[in-house]
Amino acid sequence: MPVRFAVPAGFEPQSEAWGAVELERLAAALARRGTEALADVSLDRRLEVWSQTIAVFLDPESAERRALFPGLLETSGLSAEGLCEGLEIVLEGAAERPARALAATLPPPRRRGLAGVVLAGNIPGLAVQSVLPALLLGRPLLLKSASAEPLFAPALLAALAAREPGLGQGFAAVMFDGGKPDLVASAFASTDRLLAYGGGDAISSLTARFGNRLVACGPKASVALVGTGIDAVLVARKLARDIALFDQRGCLSVQAVYTTYPAGELADALEWALAIEHRRLPPGPIPPSTAALVQQLRGAAALRARRLPELPIAAGTVLIEPEPRFTPSPGLRTVCVHPLGELRQALAALEPWKGRIQGSALAGDEAWALAPELEACGVSRLAAAGELQAVDAGWHNGGLDPMALFA
Amino acid sequence: MIVERIHRFVGAPAEADFRALALDAFAYQFARIAPYRAMCERASRTPGTVESWREVPMIPATAFASMELVTAEAKEVFRSSGTLAGATNEQSVHRHPFPELYRAVIDATFPRHVLPAGDQRPLLSLVPPRAVVSDSSLGFMVDHVMSHYGGPESLYACGARGVEGGKARSWLNASQREGRPVAILTTSYALADLLDFIGRIDLKFRLPAGSVVMETGGFKGRTKEISRNEIRERLTTRLGIGADAVVAEYGMTELTSQAYTRTLFDGDPDLFVPPPWMKVRALDPLTLAELPNGTVGLLAFFDLANVGSALHLLTEDLGSTEPGGFRLAGRAPEAALRGCSLLAEELAGR
Repeated sequence: MPVRFAVPAGFEPQSEAWGAVELERLAAALARRGTEALADVSLDRRLEVWSQTIAVFLDPESAERRALFPGLLETSGLSAEGLCEGLEIVLEGAAERPARALAATLPPPRRRGLAGVVLAGNIPGLAVQSVLPALLLGRPLLLKSASAEPLFAPALLAALAAREPGLGQGFAAVMFDGGKPDLVASAFASTDRLLAYGGGDAISSLTARFGNRLVACGPKASVALVGTGIDAVLVARKLARDIALFDQRGCLSVQAVYTTYPAGELADALEWALAIEHRRLPPGPIPPSTAALVQQLRGAAALRARRLPELPIAAGTVLIEPEPRFTPSPGLRTVCVHPLGELRQALAALEPWKGRIQGSALAGDEAWALAPELEACGVSRLAAAGELQAVDAGWHNGGLDPMALFA
Repeated sequence: MIVERIHRFVGAPAEADFRALALDAFAYQFARIAPYRAMCERASRTPGTVESWREVPMIPATAFASMELVTAEAKEVFRSSGTLAGATNEQSVHRHPFPELYRAVIDATFPRHVLPAGDQRPLLSLVPPRAVVSDSSLGFMVDHVMSHYGGPESLYACGARGVEGGKARSWLNASQREGRPVAILTTSYALADLLDFIGRIDLKFRLPAGSVVMETGGFKGRTKEISRNEIRERLTTRLGIGADAVVAEYGMTELTSQAYTRTLFDGDPDLFVPPPWMKVRALDPLTLAELPNGTVGLLAFFDLANVGSALHLLTEDLGSTEPGGFRLAGRAPEAALRGCSLLAEELAGR
């Protein structure tokens, strides 16, 4: 089983159960040596090592990937096929070419101290999105892994350090009980920037503690806008990928489809496409509590004389909902198709969710014509159907420039 | 009329009559709830084809949030305190045309499980009175219990802003002095609040022997969760009431009947026993096929007393059945935005 932490060489943790004193020691060690150690490695070398490392994790046959995969499979809750494709899409976005493109935008660094990141655990591999800009900027970084995904960040940092020991002095990834305020404070007290994914009470509590040092990335959802004049089968096939990737757990996973195309036809095509995705990317173990929610939706559709989903629940659920109001999907590849007279009506339907819609897959001229307005509403990712989740390192997650965050 | 027949069954259940009542009640709902009838017809399950209560089409609990499911003019309207998982931000609304039947259900079950000696005793309610929560199904039940089974010293110690610690403390003091067994009617959350209050001022009561706590519900929709064991320990320490005197009740806004644990009869404290007019099944979450005893699935109830709305209800609750009752195994969380949404759990340490 891969280790659940990565710390600078020479730092000896007493146990994997991180206490306040040890976290404080770790943060101090990173702050003390990290900046200098990273500065000793040239930008070109950092990029070279990064690119090699990502390439290794992209290669299913590499020793590092093979060592990581079984544990990741266990913790991610994805199927092997789903995990492979998920890793591929996350890592390709941070591979050599996008990393070099991001490096080309390198701003002059204003801060050099320790930064912190509290990672979400819904998608494996997400640590790359914060480690890369910190690496390029030469900023030491302390990552708190989520209990649901404790393995990738330590493996990534260990792989970087194995190729360039200096990098190992600048980064650490640990997992500790985030419910204990003293631990959170000990780990991140000395950071001058803390990036945290989450929402609600958790973020409120961090805001109270860290003030304007905190950058919060709240929970978000994504939708699709589909106009007329499209090839429904083709679009459905691509949208099914946007829905099924990561078992619909990502903030870029499509949860609702707004369309001026005949909704019944599009729903039929989507069901067909989800059935194919089910064979190609079978879901991970299905939590009964999630299935319970989907069964409620299916039952309500039957009672409301709506189109009845025909797929087995594990393959996905396509519902038609005449009301345009957006409702988060419970998961399990469940998607509501909302028929509209004009696609523009989707903007009004999404207005109450302003700031919480992360992305939109677009299909058809009518949909693309709304791109400026969607961007103005804070939608940070617009892409053709099938490409929504294929973000690269320069993506402004939640509208936040990854370089500016750590610069 | 079917409602009167069910009323009589509740008063004197005879298992042999259940099937006929169930099918007649289905026919009654089929005739009176148009969307339900249409759904049944689409599924080719009509009074002409259905032969067992198991075959009666189920209504999902979340449908109460968006549809009027009622067979006659509603005399009471109950709204859920939280939100249903599958219907984010929507309250479940149970329009109840037969409150007398509801009262009959309470009379046939509550005293039997909670006050088996048949006495009237001082009751402390940590559920707000109906004047505060006029649309609460639990409030309706507690109101009936307080007025029919409560002695003159009975008291509500919960208002619009929650548990009224001072009032509860005075009542507990007086009850301890009087030496007569009492009963506390409470939700899990209110009980935790009361115990917090008493703990903060470091009081320890010894309520008279024979005192009982009826606890219902969990912590759904609340940020604070306390383990059941911790509550039990604090009950013993702070009120002198042991786990063997805590009767758990299972009910929901969308159901008329309740199930209770048989704790006072040395029964399993986790096994809910439904009344004879309510059947329970655990269903496969993926296929809705009935599961054998002991296997966790989605709980579905066939409640004759729900003749005014939805006889056969598919809930969001997870549990397993066994001879004589069912066990809870959790409830579906609310559907929420995901993506970067797991931090709340992380920081809550769950």
